[in-house]
Amino acid sequence: MKEIFRLCFVLTVISAVSAGVLAFVNQKTKEPIENSFREEKMKAVRAVLPEFDNEPDKDTVTLELENQAPLTLYIGRKGGSIVGAAFPVTAPDGYSGDIEIMVGVDTAGVVRGVEILRHLETPGLGAKIVEAGFREQFENMDLEDKWAVEKDGGGIKQITGATISSRAVTHAIARGLELFRDRKDEILGYVEDPESGAGKTGEGSQ
Amino acid sequence: MSAGREFLKGFWSENPIFRLVLGLCPTLAVTTTAENGFGMGIASTFVLVCSNTVISLIRNFIPKKIRIPAFIVTIATFVTIVDLVMNGYFHALHKSLGLFIPLIVVNCIILGRAEAFASKNSVLLSVIDGFGMGLGFTFSLIVIGAIRELLGNGTVFDVQVFGDSYYPLLLMVLPPGAFIVLGILLGLMNRAEIRLAERAGRSPLIRKEHDCSNCTIHRNWFAGGDEERPVRAAAED
Repeated sequence: MKEIFRLCFVLTVISAVSAGVLAFVNQKTKEPIENSFREEKMKAVRAVLPEFDNEPDKDTVTLELENQAPLTLYIGRKGGSIVGAAFPVTAPDGYSGDIEIMVGVDTAGVVRGVEILRHLETPGLGAKIVEAGFREQFENMDLEDKWAVEKDGGGIKQITGATISSRAVTHAIARGLELFRDRKDEILGYVEDPESGAGKTGEGSQ
Repeated sequence: MSAGREFLKGFWSENPIFRLVLGLCPTLAVTTTAENGFGMGIASTFVLVCSNTVISLIRNFIPKKIRIPAFIVTIATFVTIVDLVMNGYFHALHKSLGLFIPLIVVNCIILGRAEAFASKNSVLLSVIDGFGMGLGFTFSLIVIGAIRELLGNGTVFDVQVFGDSYYPLLLMVLPPGAFIVLGILLGLMNRAEIRLAERAGRSPLIRKEHDCSNCTIHRNWFAGGDEERPVRAAAED
């Protein structure tokens, strides 16, 4: 019986010291980790938005969606007026797992940039969706264009051997554009810019 | 035993991957590129050196009955530190290694060194052992990663080696490539060891269970019997 107490005591001491060390490290790394995640997001936002001079990750609009988690859009402004918005879309129909994509559009709903945030596609095949050659095809497209890969009679050159991934990305961006068009008033109209005041909002959409 | 030998054994005579054939889960999974191999290796080395140090320091206070949980708590602490620090300061690498960083906890090399070495030796020797084994592990991961990256993507450490006309051998960066490269390297290393041992007039350091003449497939298909055969005979087949 006595031995059990001794064993418990030793293990408790070891665990307590561990917990103390980890608490300290956690506290020290909390900020760098948050910054890394923010920087990661901002890098994608910067890449897809037209030129802006505000902080899009602090200037957001959140849309309530039916049967889905709310969507956050990052608003880009220049001189106080809106130049575009960046928002993530998800393609659930890729080859393996969800593909998360950051789409940037200007106020007219024309695609200005596309970044792949996360994917689990096959290396060397589907994973080529992250390459600029594929992504840049979407630039300057809007809903007037045909959103389909060449194999389906559209204008997007699919990646050889990865039609499923190419198709999934194409359709996901198109769905994003439709959402942007349908909820445009909410996205561009009621935004308050903390710096230049509420008066100027919505100007960019004209 | 000299300190130099404790350090060098991780590279050849007790190389964790090719000689002990331990820690194969991260080995097979993360070696798609040389950089991933390097990152995983360095993370494991850090954990190995720290856990060896601490376990060697407290080895006389840990009752034998609870040594495994005590080792695991120590190892898990350092793995969590690596996970947090890497996430904060080497975010891209952390993202590409993903789940395999927390899984260092269950890497048998680390618990193996704690149990077989650090719990029985002085702090200094344990630190050297940790560095040697860790860097031997890192070195092996880089070699596997570089070969797979070169053949599967035409690059090494993201530097283009083959020209644009090279058609990448995708298989190498997919899971089967890991097994193929590991198997070929293991075979080459055994062959080299047999040669070295012959020249030095000693018996090879190949463990019986890693010698092809003891493999069930070999016995049933090629040798046609269960009789023990010397290593040299297998090499001549």
